[in-house]
Amino acid sequence: MIATALRAHEAAAPGTAPVHKLADRPAKGPVRARTPEAAATGGLAVTVRDLSKSFDGHAVITGLDLHIPAGQFVAVVGRSGCGKSTLLRLILGLEQPSAGRVVLESEAVRPPPKRIMFQEPRLLPWAKVVDNVAVGLGETGTRAERRARALSALGEVGLSDKAANWPATLSGGQRQRVALARALVSRPGLLALDEPLGALDALTRIDMQAMIEGIWRAQGFTALLVTHDVAEAVAMADRILVVENGHIALDVKVEVPRPRRRGDPDLAALEGRILDHLLQNHAPA
Amino acid sequence: MASPRLLPRLLDGTTQRLVPWLLPLGIVLGWQAASSAGLVSTRFMPAPLDVIAAGWQLGRTGELWANLWISTLRALAGFAVGGGIGFALGLANGLSRASDRLTDTTVQMVRNVPHLSLIPLVILWFGIGEEAKLFLVALGVFFPVYANTLHGIRSVDPQLVEMGRVYGLSSWSLFIRVVLPGALPSIFVGLRYALGIMWLTLIVAETISASSGLGYMAMQAREFMLVDVVVLAIVIYAGLGKLADVLTRWLERTCLAWNPAYRTV
Repeated sequence: MIATALRAHEAAAPGTAPVHKLADRPAKGPVRARTPEAAATGGLAVTVRDLSKSFDGHAVITGLDLHIPAGQFVAVVGRSGCGKSTLLRLILGLEQPSAGRVVLESEAVRPPPKRIMFQEPRLLPWAKVVDNVAVGLGETGTRAERRARALSALGEVGLSDKAANWPATLSGGQRQRVALARALVSRPGLLALDEPLGALDALTRIDMQAMIEGIWRAQGFTALLVTHDVAEAVAMADRILVVENGHIALDVKVEVPRPRRRGDPDLAALEGRILDHLLQNHAPA
Repeated sequence: MASPRLLPRLLDGTTQRLVPWLLPLGIVLGWQAASSAGLVSTRFMPAPLDVIAAGWQLGRTGELWANLWISTLRALAGFAVGGGIGFALGLANGLSRASDRLTDTTVQMVRNVPHLSLIPLVILWFGIGEEAKLFLVALGVFFPVYANTLHGIRSVDPQLVEMGRVYGLSSWSLFIRVVLPGALPSIFVGLRYALGIMWLTLIVAETISASSGLGYMAMQAREFMLVDVVVLAIVIYAGLGKLADVLTRWLERTCLAWNPAYRTV
């Protein structure tokens, strides 16, 4: 059952990566139906060609090629300092590449926005929860429209009753859910998640993983999750990229059907293999 | 269930409110007792009742209100001018590196000159007219407002600013929704300092060069040895200081309700 599409980074020519279509996903179990508006949005496809980035002469990303088809859930794992966060920031345009380029493509006439969820919630402490979510809409539409959409996004993360609260009164997990609602309220085509669950306790983290996965399946955006937690990557992603020394060392497809069960032996085996790889290729200095 | 505990709690609340006033009240009572017993010469220190009588007298003739009014107008005008310029320059230097390069060094140099040392110069320039008082108050108020506005803007969480940028907020939106609210607690600190300096400067200026106002009233009283009026003026300063403090606290609680540190206890 485990996908063993192991490909060295050099061989992974862009465009040749097998496209994992959303429709191919097995529809067993409580699969959430896609809403019509979500289906209309679609995801952004990401193509990265010969990407390099260095800070003060120190190379962080070196000649990286990558293609992510629209709607795919990709997890990027690696040791700290391997360049995975930089890769995500480059794809989002938060950093300018030193060489190479990043192309985001959409089939929609008006390409959907790209959004990021940070490791910290980064909520505005002086804005009520609903106004924080409305930040994700920028200045589109009227105030009332923005408020209505923000409220519905809050509903999706199960926090409708906290709309009028100050962020300071929420728990860590709730704040991160508000941040998720803020990221999702504009119906993004690409959602980047930069270790967003790292600071949460284990149970809250599992809840959040299920919530993010559920919303992703309902909305069909492209998801790019950077994490140091291999178990999280294996549980959530269609495909896992292991980044080492600024390039992709391992590109694995996870073909375990959804919804995935915690403790599934296939997932555990895959997790073990990736961990082995990470530990082997890192001789202590 | 709550009723048996309600009374003690109410009493507790009232006590909490009264505690800050115990000390001033005790001092006034002790002072009155000492005066009545003849322990303190009323030539140098009038009894509280004499001060109240003097206040009543001046209030009836309207002299007190006229002086209070003119002083308040001067204070507010100077505050508006100096605070306005300080706030604007603080914003400019916090937001623009070029503006900061150009002006900050100058401001820091001028800041170290005690503004009250300019009184002789100001009298030469403006005489004892209104401009002199306005200039001094504005100058005194400028620095705390400027420095704290600048500090507030500089210390806004860069992660929030990055979030705002990534989420596509326009520069104006970013300023109104992220930078200004983030700088507000520090701006309020500047406001408090400025209000203190505002009264201080005005009273000194009125004491030295004026023909009306609270400071002038106190100086006149000294010439005629009316100690009770001198003390009355000082008590009024204390009252005005407290009033300014209450107003700022109220503003802080209203504008900074999001911040647990400012929430009403």
